[in-house]
Amino acid sequence: MIEKIHSRTLVAFMLLLTFSVTPAFAQDGMKLQVAKNSSNSEPIELSIEALDLLEQKKFSTKTIWTDGITTFSGVPLKVLLNHFDANGETVEMVALNDYAVTMPFADLEDDAPIVATRMNGELMSVRDKGPFWVVYPYDLDARYQNETVYSRSIWQLNRLKVMD
Amino acid sequence: MKAGLNQYRITILAGIVLLVLLLAIMVTGLLGQLRDLSIAEDDNMQWGISQIDVEFANLNATISKRLSDNSLADSEIRLRLDIAISRLSILNSGRAATLFAGSDAIQKLVAPIEIFSERAIEISDKPGPITDVDLLRLRALTEEVRPNVRKIALLGVELNALRSEARRAEFSRQLTRTGGIAIVLLALMAVLMLLLDRMLRRAARRDAELLTSSQLLKSTVAASLDAIVTANDKGQIVEFNAAAEDVFGWKRDEIIGKTMEETFIPHRMRDAHHSGMARYLETGKPRVVDGGRVELAALRKSGEEFPIELNITSVKDDDGTKFIAYLRDISVRKINDQKLIDARDRAERTDKAKSQFLTVMSHEMRTPLNGILGVLDLLKTTKLTAKQSRYADIATASSEILLEHISEALDITRIEAGTFQLTPQDFDLPVLVHSIADVLEPLAREKQLGLGVQIDEIMRRSFHGDSSRIRQIMTNLIGNAIKFTDEGKIGIKVSGIHGPADSSLKFAVADTGAGIEAEHLEQIFEDFVALAHSEGRQSRGDGLGLSISRKIARQMGGDVSVVSEVGKGSTFTLTVPLQRQEHDPQESATNAINPVGLTEEAREILLVEDNNINRKVLRDMLYAMGHRVTEAVNGVDCLEQAEAKRFDLIFMDISMPEMDGIEATRNLRAGDGPNVATNVIGLTAHGQEEFREQAERAGMNSFHTKPIRLTVLRGIISGFGGALHSPLPTEALQELCAALGPDRVQDTGTSFFGELNAFIAEARSGGMPAGVSELAEAAHKIKGAAALLGLQNLEAKLAELELLARNDDVPDLAERIEEVERISQISQTDFATVVQSFRL
Repeated sequence: MIEKIHSRTLVAFMLLLTFSVTPAFAQDGMKLQVAKNSSNSEPIELSIEALDLLEQKKFSTKTIWTDGITTFSGVPLKVLLNHFDANGETVEMVALNDYAVTMPFADLEDDAPIVATRMNGELMSVRDKGPFWVVYPYDLDARYQNETVYSRSIWQLNRLKVMD
Repeated sequence: MKAGLNQYRITILAGIVLLVLLLAIMVTGLLGQLRDLSIAEDDNMQWGISQIDVEFANLNATISKRLSDNSLADSEIRLRLDIAISRLSILNSGRAATLFAGSDAIQKLVAPIEIFSERAIEISDKPGPITDVDLLRLRALTEEVRPNVRKIALLGVELNALRSEARRAEFSRQLTRTGGIAIVLLALMAVLMLLLDRMLRRAARRDAELLTSSQLLKSTVAASLDAIVTANDKGQIVEFNAAAEDVFGWKRDEIIGKTMEETFIPHRMRDAHHSGMARYLETGKPRVVDGGRVELAALRKSGEEFPIELNITSVKDDDGTKFIAYLRDISVRKINDQKLIDARDRAERTDKAKSQFLTVMSHEMRTPLNGILGVLDLLKTTKLTAKQSRYADIATASSEILLEHISEALDITRIEAGTFQLTPQDFDLPVLVHSIADVLEPLAREKQLGLGVQIDEIMRRSFHGDSSRIRQIMTNLIGNAIKFTDEGKIGIKVSGIHGPADSSLKFAVADTGAGIEAEHLEQIFEDFVALAHSEGRQSRGDGLGLSISRKIARQMGGDVSVVSEVGKGSTFTLTVPLQRQEHDPQESATNAINPVGLTEEAREILLVEDNNINRKVLRDMLYAMGHRVTEAVNGVDCLEQAEAKRFDLIFMDISMPEMDGIEATRNLRAGDGPNVATNVIGLTAHGQEEFREQAERAGMNSFHTKPIRLTVLRGIISGFGGALHSPLPTEALQELCAALGPDRVQDTGTSFFGELNAFIAEARSGGMPAGVSELAEAAHKIKGAAALLGLQNLEAKLAELELLARNDDVPDLAERIEEVERISQISQTDFATVVQSFRL
């Protein structure tokens, strides 16, 4: 079901932008869906622009998936969820390919992870793990260098679902 | 002990250092491991890689679905493609790239996929909708690379497996290392624990030992008879035992903490003590401390000073230097010492006084005895009745015994004073023994006792030793035997053993007297002991005789011993070591004393003697012998007299007031008077030995002990005959007289002297001036006659004259004739004397 909605929105979005953007960035208009647990309402859809309005965080770090130092910027996940009063026990993060990982709220820090919208100052395409990538400042602390953190560093983030 | 402890400490410290080091290594290792574990290097990389295959499968499915039912939008196709392509990026970057970098197989597999990626993007990014041709092509492309993708996924799994294995191996190595270190650590700790335990046990044991020894020490100190005082380096008393309490009168509790200075060191010593202690603490050089026992003084609590014997040692401990003094109150000992010294001094004084007394007494008694014996000798030369003669003999005998006693007393004194001297000489043993027996034989005969002499054959020879002392001892032993034997006989037996160097001689005197009880055997050798006979009569020992005999024998290296059986008799034995003499001294024994009866020549004699009686007695004796005597009363007088006139002989008393005989002789010899070479005979009432050496040094020719008996006096004078002014060689003339008779000799002499006088008269008148050869002939003729008569001096003078006359060289004829005349006169007198003596 979600997949379907997602597909539909994507198609519509893509149709809207067909003539305004290059095909490579066709998916760049993709929105991040945030589903709150309490309400049965439709999930909130957030565009890059909407995310840009929120508090931004920027850091440079090495990652195990990239070469050299990479600078990421975006909205801290905690800030994002707080902004939408999305509170619960855990948050499920789902990727475009339906890779999903669940994370307790307790593990959310003020600054990490962030929902990165830009890598080295550039927007990220789907081909390049975009448009949304949950990243940690891995070099900052050894606690960001374990399997849990790596598994939570989800590419091509598509949906956030808060659960009790 | 201390070194052992240090070794332990060093071992433990080294162990601790090692422990820390190992711990550090282990902690570092563990931290590294912890970090490695906490940092996941590849997370879900494998999953990511395997996902590529899934995404390609999805893409393929999506394309196929679109182709089959055309139900999917272009965007869906593009999204799937993008996702699939996005997955490829993980092969080219990040950890996966590193993982695959070394693998050529992967690179070969990746290359077609890259090409696929380019072509697929080309189709996807182409403007306009995606056509079925595009889709078919996409599907073909996808299917073409799918085996590659699959292989990559599988390879990823494989590589990952290898890596995990490597990591596991590394982890295992690390674990092993850490575990090893931990084991070593534990072992080390165990060793250290053991060491500590051992040290602890040792310390405990030592503690116990220390406790024991300190308790032992405490009880030793407390029970010590010596006072033990311990002071610190400030001089404060820190320990004070029970004996110290007794010695000093201080109680331990009251003296602890006080200084030695303010308590028991005498005031006069306090400065010295202070500086001494300061010096010791500064330099560490001890003077009293550790210096053995010293005698000092200390104060009692009551204030009086007393002598102590002190030994101080020092000990260094944590609180500084401690001085331990061991003291002993030696006041009682000192008092006793003083008493002993006083007693010894007193005894010495008494002994000296005794010796002095004996010496003086013997001298004082000898002097009057000298007079008595001299007078008795003189008396006997006068005409006496038989009765008078017997009285004179008894008086003489008694005086002689008295003299003997005095000599013995003097001997004792000398032996005790250590001035007793032996005068060894060569002697013939049989001669000696027989002469002793001969002297005593009349005594034995008087009591009708037999006196037998038996000498071992091997002992009949000459020896070297003090024969006069042997005579003295033997005389005493035989005399006693005769005295204490009433019937039977006295046996003298001489035996002995010839040792390698010396011979040991044994003179045994056996009697058949009453014998001596065993308990008195040694007593009789004591001074002044005479055993009382059971009837109250004196029996054995006569005062000093035996005592002296034994003492003299011992001085000679021998002894006098006795065996006796009551009722059967006693045997006294003199043993004495003597040197054997190889040559026969028989000859020297014969010329001992001049034949009595030969009239002495008249001598000019100077008699120097301070004692009037002695001088008069001696003078009368000399007069009686026909000598001319000049008297002097002391040394000074003697020198005056000697200055005026030449003497043939000088008798010189040794002890005189003003100037003694020794000094007078010395002056005489040192001067150039007429008597510079005159024979000097020393006389003394003391023993010979005291002055012999001095007398000889001063220049005396011989030395005699008073009283001098007439016979001895004769011997002395004739003994110096050869050296006297005597131009008359008596032997030749005596032989002549003996051969021809004095009358014939007198006639010959008368004619000889007549011729001589005629010759002298002629020579003097100048009757032979021209014919010197005539003079020579005359001299020669008279010379021959003089030689015949033994007038050697005259003969010599005439021979000289003859020689000169033959050489025709007599410049001083008158003087020579004068000399001949002078000698002729002396010779004439001498000749008359000798011939006269033969007539008597």
